[in-house]
Amino acid sequence: MTLFTKDDCVLCAQLKKQFDLSAMDVQVEVLDNNDAGALAHLAWHGLVERARKTLPILVLDDSSALHEFPHIESRLLERAARCGVAARRPGKQAGCESGSCALR
Amino acid sequence: MGVVMPLKAETAQARTHQVVNEDSTDIALFVRSSQDDMIGWNRQRIVDALLRETFIDRDTAEKISRDIEVTIQAGKVKTITGPLIREMVNAKLLEMGLEEARRMHTRLGVPLYDVDQLLVQHNKENANVPHGPEATNLTLAEGIKKEYALLHVFTPDVADAHLSGDLHLHDLGFIDRPYCSGQSLEYIKKFGLNLPHALSMAKPAKHAEVLLAHMVKFAASLQSHFAGAIGWDAINLFYAPYLEELSDDGVKQLAQMMIYEFSQQAVARGGQAIFSDVNIYWEVPKHFVDVPAIGPGGVYTGKTYGEYEKQAQRFAWALFEVYKEGDAAGRPFFFPKPLVHITEKFFKTDGHMDFLHHICEVASVKGNTYFVFDRGDTAKISECCRLSFKLEASDLEDAKQPWKMRYSALQNITINLPRLAFQAQGDDTKLFLLLTEKLQLAAKAHGQKKKFIERLMSLGKGGPLSLLAMDLDGEPYLKLHRCSYLIGMVGLNELIRVHLGQELHESDESIKFGLKVIAHMNIVCSKLAEAMDMKFVLEQTPAESTAFRFAKLDLAHFNTEAEKVVQGNRGKGEVYYSNSTLFNVGANMSPISRVEKEGLFHPLIEAGSITHIWLGEAQPDKEALAGFVINVFKHTQNDQIAFSPEFTACIACGKTSRGLSESCPYCQSKDVDGITRITGYFTKISSWNKGKLGELHDRYRNIDRFNN
Repeated sequence: MTLFTKDDCVLCAQLKKQFDLSAMDVQVEVLDNNDAGALAHLAWHGLVERARKTLPILVLDDSSALHEFPHIESRLLERAARCGVAARRPGKQAGCESGSCALR
Repeated sequence: MGVVMPLKAETAQARTHQVVNEDSTDIALFVRSSQDDMIGWNRQRIVDALLRETFIDRDTAEKISRDIEVTIQAGKVKTITGPLIREMVNAKLLEMGLEEARRMHTRLGVPLYDVDQLLVQHNKENANVPHGPEATNLTLAEGIKKEYALLHVFTPDVADAHLSGDLHLHDLGFIDRPYCSGQSLEYIKKFGLNLPHALSMAKPAKHAEVLLAHMVKFAASLQSHFAGAIGWDAINLFYAPYLEELSDDGVKQLAQMMIYEFSQQAVARGGQAIFSDVNIYWEVPKHFVDVPAIGPGGVYTGKTYGEYEKQAQRFAWALFEVYKEGDAAGRPFFFPKPLVHITEKFFKTDGHMDFLHHICEVASVKGNTYFVFDRGDTAKISECCRLSFKLEASDLEDAKQPWKMRYSALQNITINLPRLAFQAQGDDTKLFLLLTEKLQLAAKAHGQKKKFIERLMSLGKGGPLSLLAMDLDGEPYLKLHRCSYLIGMVGLNELIRVHLGQELHESDESIKFGLKVIAHMNIVCSKLAEAMDMKFVLEQTPAESTAFRFAKLDLAHFNTEAEKVVQGNRGKGEVYYSNSTLFNVGANMSPISRVEKEGLFHPLIEAGSITHIWLGEAQPDKEALAGFVINVFKHTQNDQIAFSPEFTACIACGKTSRGLSESCPYCQSKDVDGITRITGYFTKISSWNKGKLGELHDRYRNIDRFNN
């Protein structure tokens, strides 16, 4: 599983706060302006245009992708439970009015 | 300056003595000047030129002029020309170590031998330039401007990078113009044909035929102010208000006139047909639905464009009927290129499947159709071989007054990727460092061209770019502050082959590393754009001659490495690198696999990409192609596709047949020419450069891939 995120993305930050992603064996890719590898990985999954509309994106092990926040959260909760990793209870979804939750 | 005619025979020594002691104006020599007259020898002219054109001091200039005078008098020359004197002065400057002064004092020109060759032989750098007096004028003028650009517009490091083949500065012969232009017909619908320096002015057209005449003339004017393509947005929609009174036959007649007008414009610049593109929509694009329509006479019709859907569709249909028929000999029209936008709304618009079958039939029969995929909310205007301008928020705001919609790329620079891999020798860090350096150099070159064009534009309506400075809507026609600066790439496939030992189509690892290279280019472009406040964007440069040039230069300068990866036939000199991020053209891949995998790169290349599907002599069913197009739209990231059939045109009997043949299947004449797509447009194969001929030979033809 790979979670594509961005540093100034409030929804991404909410997930990182909510879950111990490394303990859940979820690879986190940060799409900043210095990591060609992360951007290339995103392109490999055919998700660049999607990421320009919304982040975070969760790519599952079968290569399908989730981009609706509640779906991502729900899938991560399942994963956390399966891995025996504690996760914070879902809170109110952060707003993203500034448009920062997308690849520029 | 020019012909030196000694009046009496003397020994060299005596003459030298005499010259040194005489005032040069007394010497009865005549020089053939570059101003087409014979003038008396005057040493002072050398001094004046040196002081005017360089920064050397008067004493040095005087010394050089005296030395030259001595040399001239000492030689038994019967004729001498201004250019020769200038070269003698340059040799002297070089001898004295005054390199910068020599550079500034350079004379631009063409050797006699080269002119002779040019006048006789076909220049195949651009397959869209025929052979003729106008074309040789163009080539000669381009030659001078290229030299000027490399000496005077760009700094030596940029010029050297171009000359050595690290990168390629496109259209140097058009240094005093932007690269290409995309616009709306609304500009001439609203303002008429009101061009600076024109002998007459025309009010907005009242009839469809007149509007077409205005469009063609305006396109020709634009061609003389831009180096490359002239694109038109939503052409069928913007014609629609003029079509209400026309019968279906009348609409088809108009469509026929438009296509013939643009395809027969080989009387324009350099005998070169206008590289023209028409963007076509079956639906009314969302951003035009509520826009008030301009009709005959340049007045609002009282309706919005949303109400003209049926008229726009009639015109779109008619255009493709004409494309399907081809020209009088059944050959495909080369221009204008029809770019059909496939959007989410397309599939929600009545009649879309009939239209899709119609344009797919044209794609199969004649190959004209380009399928441009605008997924989600994306909107763009496309042109050139694959260039597209994505409409941003400010552009969509302009769409409310569509005459304001005009887009330009100022320059295009391509980076030689395989050479970076030769130099990196398998070291990733070094590879990306070298790539960054070349991108920085490209950005620097763009800045230099921008500065030069700004200088010309600042001369306003009295300057050479008066057409681009005209401000009928309160802004110059060329919106410099919104121009794009294109950065392209050639030979990603060969870079990967050198660096990883496999080509792009051979493994997922190759594709992943290729994506990393292009992602790096994308990121560096973004950073440079922010730092320099210029819009740098990646484009799959067409590289019609660049892919050949880079391969040739690398074989010359990196022979050991290059000979392992250069594509084509080295024995015949038909060598090339794979274009941009395209996979090996000869790879045996299913068309959908090629479209899907090449398409992974397209979202990173924001100013346009394309995948070619070479058909050879195959003529797939329209239903099969339609299904393919839908599949591509729904299940891939590919930006644009085109299907390319091949034809043989017989010069003897005038008939056109399917596939490439050495003789005409109708009359068996061997006087035939092939026709197919070179990069992003159709041309006669006899006009192709050697690199492209090599590629043509290697192309994998999808002969039985669709109907089975």
